[in-house]
Amino acid sequence: MKVLHNITAGKPQQLLKPVLFSFLANIVSVLPFALVIEAVRLIFAPYITVGAELQIERLWWICAGLVAVMVLMFLSEIPAYRTAYRGAYNVAAQGRAELAEHLRKLPLGYLTRRDPGDLANMMMGDFTLVETGISHLLPQLAGAFVLPIFALAGLLFLDWRMAISMFVALPVALLIMYLSGRLRRRLGADHMKAKLNAANRLQEYLNGIRVMKAYNLTGERFVRLDSSFRTLMKESVKLEGIFGPVILTAMALLRAGLTLMVYVGVHLLLGGELGILQLAVFLIVGTRIYDPLTTALANYAEFRYNEQAGERIVDLLRQPVMTGTTAPLPESSTIRFDNVTFGYGGEPVLKQLSIEMPQGSLTAIVGPSGSGKSTVLRLISRFYDPDEGSVLLGGRNIKDIDPEHLLGSVSVVFQDVYLFQDTIGNNIAFGRPGASQQDIQQAAEMARCHDFIMKLPLGYNTPVGEGGSTLSGGEKQRISIARAILKNAPIVLLDEATASLDPQNEAEIQKGIDALITGRTVIVIAHRLKTIRGADNIIVLEDGRLVEQGRHEALLLRGGLYDRLWKLQQQSVGFRITS
Amino acid sequence: MSKTKTGMSRLLEIAGEKRGLLILSGVLSSVSAVLMLVPFLSVYFILAELLRHASSPGQVDSDAMIRWGWIALGGLIGGLVTSYCGIMCSHIAAFRIQYNLRVRMTEHLGRLPLGFLNGTSTGAVKKTLEQNVDKVENFVAHQLPDLVSALASTVLMIVAMFWLSPPLAVACLLPILIGMVVQSALMMSGKGKTSVKQYHDSLEQINASAVQYVRGMPAVKVFGQTVHSFRKFYSDMTRYRDYCLEFTDRYQSGYVLFKTLLASSFTFILPVGVYMLSGQPDSMSFALVLLFFLIMAPGVSSPLYKLLMLASSTRDIGEGVERMDRLLAQQPVPEIIMPLSPHAFDVEFTDVTFSYSEEEGATAALSEVSFRAEQGKVTALVGPSGSGKSTVASLVPRFWDPQEGAIRIGGVDIRYMAIHELMNTVAFVFQETFLFYDTLYENIAVGKPEATLDEVQAAARAAQCDEFISRLPQGYDTLIGEGGVYLSGGEEQRIAVARAILKNAPVLVLDEATAFADPENEHHMQLALTELMRGKTVIVIAHRLSSIREAAQILVLRDGQIVERGDHDSLIDLDGLYTKMWHVYSGTGDWHMEKGGEQL
Repeated sequence: MKVLHNITAGKPQQLLKPVLFSFLANIVSVLPFALVIEAVRLIFAPYITVGAELQIERLWWICAGLVAVMVLMFLSEIPAYRTAYRGAYNVAAQGRAELAEHLRKLPLGYLTRRDPGDLANMMMGDFTLVETGISHLLPQLAGAFVLPIFALAGLLFLDWRMAISMFVALPVALLIMYLSGRLRRRLGADHMKAKLNAANRLQEYLNGIRVMKAYNLTGERFVRLDSSFRTLMKESVKLEGIFGPVILTAMALLRAGLTLMVYVGVHLLLGGELGILQLAVFLIVGTRIYDPLTTALANYAEFRYNEQAGERIVDLLRQPVMTGTTAPLPESSTIRFDNVTFGYGGEPVLKQLSIEMPQGSLTAIVGPSGSGKSTVLRLISRFYDPDEGSVLLGGRNIKDIDPEHLLGSVSVVFQDVYLFQDTIGNNIAFGRPGASQQDIQQAAEMARCHDFIMKLPLGYNTPVGEGGSTLSGGEKQRISIARAILKNAPIVLLDEATASLDPQNEAEIQKGIDALITGRTVIVIAHRLKTIRGADNIIVLEDGRLVEQGRHEALLLRGGLYDRLWKLQQQSVGFRITS
Repeated sequence: MSKTKTGMSRLLEIAGEKRGLLILSGVLSSVSAVLMLVPFLSVYFILAELLRHASSPGQVDSDAMIRWGWIALGGLIGGLVTSYCGIMCSHIAAFRIQYNLRVRMTEHLGRLPLGFLNGTSTGAVKKTLEQNVDKVENFVAHQLPDLVSALASTVLMIVAMFWLSPPLAVACLLPILIGMVVQSALMMSGKGKTSVKQYHDSLEQINASAVQYVRGMPAVKVFGQTVHSFRKFYSDMTRYRDYCLEFTDRYQSGYVLFKTLLASSFTFILPVGVYMLSGQPDSMSFALVLLFFLIMAPGVSSPLYKLLMLASSTRDIGEGVERMDRLLAQQPVPEIIMPLSPHAFDVEFTDVTFSYSEEEGATAALSEVSFRAEQGKVTALVGPSGSGKSTVASLVPRFWDPQEGAIRIGGVDIRYMAIHELMNTVAFVFQETFLFYDTLYENIAVGKPEATLDEVQAAARAAQCDEFISRLPQGYDTLIGEGGVYLSGGEEQRIAVARAILKNAPVLVLDEATAFADPENEHHMQLALTELMRGKTVIVIAHRLSSIREAAQILVLRDGQIVERGDHDSLIDLDGLYTKMWHVYSGTGDWHMEKGGEQL
């Protein structure tokens, strides 16, 4: 049952129709064999019973019957085909939409811990495997048992001893297949490890090739890559070498029933307990009966593989989502951290932090790297929920607010900007769906990106590449500021928005930021302390704790961490490149 | 490299694999296919024996029949064992090919210009190295022996059938042929072809938009785009499904007919058989022939069908090989036969023109750039983004070679220096750093593999790494990356500087805009750089104009050309681009965020 659940990515009821129709179609496909057996009986009747005539007319009737069965087969295959394929594509499409929707509701923290390539592959590749599973493998597997079951039932009437010798090995073969699954998992672990290792080494080699060349290490590092490839090769051969015979043994056992049947049959024949025709029937059936089962055995591995794809999807769908109401947000946009403790799974990054960021004020967060600055912003945007304590917006715990609803009131400008594979205009319009061209242009002007956009070949209709690779860092940054301006949210979060840009870009971005923060609740992380010296409140964090806060001048007077950082930075400004 | 070979033979050529194993695998697979037919034949002989003595069962040669039973089992086991051996041969060959391809291609990558592997090409190369190579492996390991055995059993069966009775043989093959014609007619028709293309297009689209959807998730969340209003992904997905459904509908009758015909060999054989039988009702030999066909016929269609399916997969191999060839066709940096060594370390650009694209008419990233960076002095590159600063810096360590002009170190054209010598002469520290999955010690010692622990520690101290390293649990033996520790961006960069210090190359190319994550880090980084630059010929991409006020030479670039040059004071006197930049720069220094306008 769990298998069915998995291979359909959580929708086993969708299997009912395809399996049912495939069953019917398979039953029809048994009929030709029955007719042919009758034909053989007729053809050989004259040789068995002396004096009997060859009944040509009846044989013609059988031929007519075969033609009729062929038509019937065609008709029965149509619903089997339709339900299987249409069902599979619909399940996959629904499933993809559901998964996409689910991903959106998961805490962003969960998503950032995973490789985005992995998730995208799940959305596409894994669902394709589920498609194949539903449209192909499962109906085939179900169908594979129809012929043997019908044959067994029919043959039991004819002669139970022969029928049993025909199928006696089947349970053993199935047991071997089942056990081999475990063996494969055990052996597979080593293989998987080697495979991962090789992939990681390859990644390292590709990413580090410049460093390797720069330090003349291509040879030495190559040895490590080479040895990981070699290990993978050995593990692959080992896996194949050990596992292959198991499947072959199962197949051999299954088909050995034929020989057993000959043995039993001859003895029964000589003992006069079995007619020649009966034996002939058994032998004819015996040559073909195992084919569907063998195919099913051969496909079993693929089936399990596809099932695992479904399992991955089901597992992901099981991850708890963030909930909350979409009731109107509080009037006030004052943000308060109340004894917040939070960690990314390990050591807490924020430790019993209590801070307040009043409505309409500009709050800066400073501190050494790793002090938890960015984490504060992530908790405000509810990318994560705190482990202890609470984050309050206008007095309401944001845990009770639907994350998307909450984000409707928050604009975030990250250090690294993601642009969608769409036109520049649409990328800005992400800030406010349904914005007019005028609104977009106005926001772009305020963010100082209008001019460079107009220089592009198609202006606002210029497409940008995946990840926005065709624009410079500063340009992307300004587009994200335009987005935020267009969004016009009461809360603005800026995470090192001006880090590592050249002076021109920086000057432009600064103008954009000025336009963005006017009249809002602003929380900013900035590494250049000079840029935040006008903040209403500067929160200084160290090691996840609040060490001091206040205005620039007051903090300098205190002579604490802020003062030290300030002085270090003053020194840095005097830095000269000399040799 | 011979271009005439394609597909399989080119594959073997690239992989340097001999045919031996594959031929052995083919032979074994064919033998297996033949042996697998033995059980059917045995049953036929048993039946023949039974029917000959049909009227008097007591006379049946029971020993012979049981012998046939054992022969059937023997054939089966023999067939399975040879099939296993054949598959093992093909697997070993496949894994060897896979291994050789990977090694060959990664080795080739190592010889390509440094610039070749950038962000975009890394993904494509990785795809070629993993997916295409895996596909080749899969084909050689599984599909090739299948193909051979299907071919062997089909040929054998067809020959036997025609030898016994041509009319019945035709009747047996007819439905398969009709089915094939029906299917290929559907596939090849104009409509069919376009819909295949449309299908692949929409598949590609949905793949791209799925990747985008996941990667853009933070933005999707921040801007509250629900899955349905996330128009592109949803509509691509719907379109894909619709194509699939249309596809399904289109091929419904063709596919079902094909499947039905494949399963209907009796329907064709029996009438012909009955017709022939009615002409010779007493011929037992013909009755036996008919029986033979009825037993064997259902076994003909499946290998034949397999043969057809597999034939199309050889196309995949062709495509994979083509991709690999494209990678292998990238020109490696040529090895110099009589390399020259520089004895001085000034760097000179003479009329350097360079474009990232080889095509005619491509915009030049640098045009006719000439300058001389004095030995032991600082030359700074400034200019707006896209002006060519980074390009100048990346030409010195030969990430790329210029199309025109020359770059010389101590008078020696860098193209005439041995690569390892050039690398020993030039150190570069750019924004992107890369640490190996290894210990910190190993990561720094990269700069000088024979370095002693003292030397490594001295370099680490000079690069301001000593302090944070000593705080780590295992100090210098701490593992970086998975299962070890992750360093901050600033720390990683200082490790890179430590490497460069240890390497102690006379020419240094660096990008000043190292990620100054916080004031402390910035301070440390500056101390580290000061240490690194001492006494070197420095070419630096400067971002803060204040830091290069004392540089011996400042080159101002715009649109790939040097528009101004000189030291700080003379450039200020010039009152040109540099002066403008200097004013902007001094301006940004004063900027700070402040609340203005009315409150919300």
